[in-house]
Amino acid sequence: MQESAWGWLIITYLFLAGAGAGAFVAAVACDLLAPDWSKALARAGSLAAGPLVAIGTLCLVFDLEAGFWQPWRQLYLMSNLGSMIAWGVIVLSAFIPVALLYAAALNEISSVGRFAKKYVRVLEAVGSFLAVATAGYTGVLIAVVNGVPFWNTPVMPVLFMASAMSTGLAVAMIGAAAIDIRTVRTLSNFALGHVIFLAVEGIVLMLLIFMSLTRSTEAAASATMLISGTLSPYFWGLVVVLGIAIPFCLSIVEYFEYGEMPKYLVVGADLLVLIGGMSLRALIVFSGTPPQII
Amino acid sequence: MPRYGIAIDTTRCVGCHSCRVACQNQQGLEYKQSFNWIKEKDSGKFPSFGKEFVPLQCNQCENPPCQRVCPTGAIYTSAEGVVLVHRDRCVGCKYCIEACPYKVRSIDEHEGISVKCWFCIDIVRAGGEPACVTTCPTRVRIFGDLDDPNSSISRFIAKYRAEPLRPDLNTRPKVFYKRS
Repeated sequence: MQESAWGWLIITYLFLAGAGAGAFVAAVACDLLAPDWSKALARAGSLAAGPLVAIGTLCLVFDLEAGFWQPWRQLYLMSNLGSMIAWGVIVLSAFIPVALLYAAALNEISSVGRFAKKYVRVLEAVGSFLAVATAGYTGVLIAVVNGVPFWNTPVMPVLFMASAMSTGLAVAMIGAAAIDIRTVRTLSNFALGHVIFLAVEGIVLMLLIFMSLTRSTEAAASATMLISGTLSPYFWGLVVVLGIAIPFCLSIVEYFEYGEMPKYLVVGADLLVLIGGMSLRALIVFSGTPPQII
Repeated sequence: MPRYGIAIDTTRCVGCHSCRVACQNQQGLEYKQSFNWIKEKDSGKFPSFGKEFVPLQCNQCENPPCQRVCPTGAIYTSAEGVVLVHRDRCVGCKYCIEACPYKVRSIDEHEGISVKCWFCIDIVRAGGEPACVTTCPTRVRIFGDLDDPNSSISRFIAKYRAEPLRPDLNTRPKVFYKRS
């Protein structure tokens, strides 16, 4: 296995940007759909979105070599619009301020927040678009890499998008429980979100594996590494069972029990989703195999 | 303007690695960094088996994936068709390293930028040939102008139907191999 040029910093970025963007979408959904007495999730999601994506972006900067020590080089980052990173710089620099402003508006932080509250619907519309772009970008970033055939598929952004939505919802739900533990009961409405996104994530992941097994030798080598090779214990244990199957079942119970499920199981399911999301990205990066050239 | 390429005859290569050492010497690289490698490929089963030495370096693709993904525009193709790096623009994001299917790029630890073989373009412009070409004791590599039908490289490629590595990847490399 050839070592990837990208490591844990990029994996952390892929995870945090997805979770932050997902948390923003969860916050918007809660603000628009939920009744007045259960806004804790919207507040928590909006507060988490900006900082998570900002920390993820810092990881990207720390991963730079010359651009980290000589930061003025970063001014060139938008020179080639054919590069996904250039688009990522644009999307991230637009999303982070909008997300921070939205958090200020929903939580009425300072005069800026009270002013922004008048335009909260505009922030929600623009922010949701940018959040989807941020979450999609994490997948497109590696999907356009034809130096790694396993990544080079349009299924990848869909998978990352589904994972971003479920991890973001998990962040917002944990945050809501932290702000006001009594809201745990009202969270059961949102468990339906987990059911949907985890189901989509599971199906798309299955598609990716099946298609990779037949697409090319290298993609098949990566997929085999995941399902029966060196990475298989992590793949089946952390991603499939802990990250998708268990929280999926818990969320179904949570949805139908309507607030009767023990608190630690509600928060536990969300923590499992986060572990699964991080592991998924790590395993996809580490299982990348370059083409056989000789 | 010429369009430079290299033809490699793997049937002549004995795997002595002098091309790699000459390159490291010419480019002032440390022992752990290389711009070219000798990959080894085993074939067959006892008693009929063989080992092929395949010298590998930047293919100077005409459709370079590294150049396409570079966000800063640090990677560009010179008029001679050689893929070069603006040392002042590269931020070291390593996207090009991921994008290159041949995995011939690496990070220069001193400058923190992405580097690779550049066909010794300084020597070539002064009228010479790349160090890996001139140093090879068995004359594995032929350097020359691909656009000149009478150059030794063009005649070699035509005569032996030399092909680039993985032409199906559509990177259109300018390094050609005669492998049997």
